[in-house]
Amino acid sequence: MIQENVWISTNSLDFAQSMTLLLRFQIQSYIQRTMYSHGTSGEQSNYYSRSRGLRVLLVDDDEINRMVTKKMLEKLGCEVTAVSTGFECLSAFSHAENSFRVVVLDLHMPEIYGFEVATRIRKFRSCNWPLIIALTASTEDNVQKRCVQIGMNAVLQKPVLLQAMAAELQRILHRAKPL
Amino acid sequence: MERNPMRRQLQVMRKSLFDQGYLDEQFVQLEELQDDANPNFVEEVVTLYFRDSARLILNIEQALERKPFDFNKLDGYMHQFKGSSSSIGAKRVKAESTLFREYCKSGNGEGCMRTFQQLKKEYATLRKKLEAYFQVARQAGPMETACRPK
Repeated sequence: MIQENVWISTNSLDFAQSMTLLLRFQIQSYIQRTMYSHGTSGEQSNYYSRSRGLRVLLVDDDEINRMVTKKMLEKLGCEVTAVSTGFECLSAFSHAENSFRVVVLDLHMPEIYGFEVATRIRKFRSCNWPLIIALTASTEDNVQKRCVQIGMNAVLQKPVLLQAMAAELQRILHRAKPL
Repeated sequence: MERNPMRRQLQVMRKSLFDQGYLDEQFVQLEELQDDANPNFVEEVVTLYFRDSARLILNIEQALERKPFDFNKLDGYMHQFKGSSSSIGAKRVKAESTLFREYCKSGNGEGCMRTFQQLKKEYATLRKKLEAYFQVARQAGPMETACRPK
């Protein structure tokens, strides 16, 4: 059970930094929990270990957005693989050794539309993993609805704020069923 | 209060960029992401943006030379351009992009051309200002902390 700590800060940047530190901690303890529950040893893990982060696959065709979102996720303690097309995303999944826990997926990509990618991921891995976070510039309700229908776990509006990403990651990891 | 005169100058420049509406919250996001592992992250992203978006601007320019206008294509380019402009917090450029897209949707060629001229101006101004800003930033050394504009 993770303690919820609240820092009172003098400005919102301190708060953002505190939030990200807290989330990093939570993500790392989450990883330790799941590792222990499956009896995976091998690596020496402790709370300060940075050798394993939450494995995230980032799919975005825009180079700038990819760079920014990747950095954001790394700040939150994730180990990020970034690809630029839906095809690369799906082929990343066909490699068994790539066990991504979370996919962050831009919905508006040229050759395969993001929804299509998500649908295929869900077909390919019909269990609860990976968790899928959709990124969209659209504010339309039907986008949200469609995301839920397809089985995505969260939708974030672009441009993405660090705090929003942190909050969504925390929310979906917290609610996620164990493997 | 910054003692270092270069840093003070930098803060003044930074404040002005926000006060005059050239930059928005998203730029602060980039600053928050900058750290010891990537000490020049903001400049790197911005440099990449100007490099990438130059190509898009050229595409739009060429598309505007072909009549009749392919509004779908134009909108597509601008959607992309708006996306990356948004990511670096280019507030004015983003506003012109939004306007351009509205003209595309309503099939208003005149509006597109007018807005595009304005967009290019804003884009050029932003580029100059940010180049100057980063030049001072490099001389000033790392800022203590990014702070939200009041």
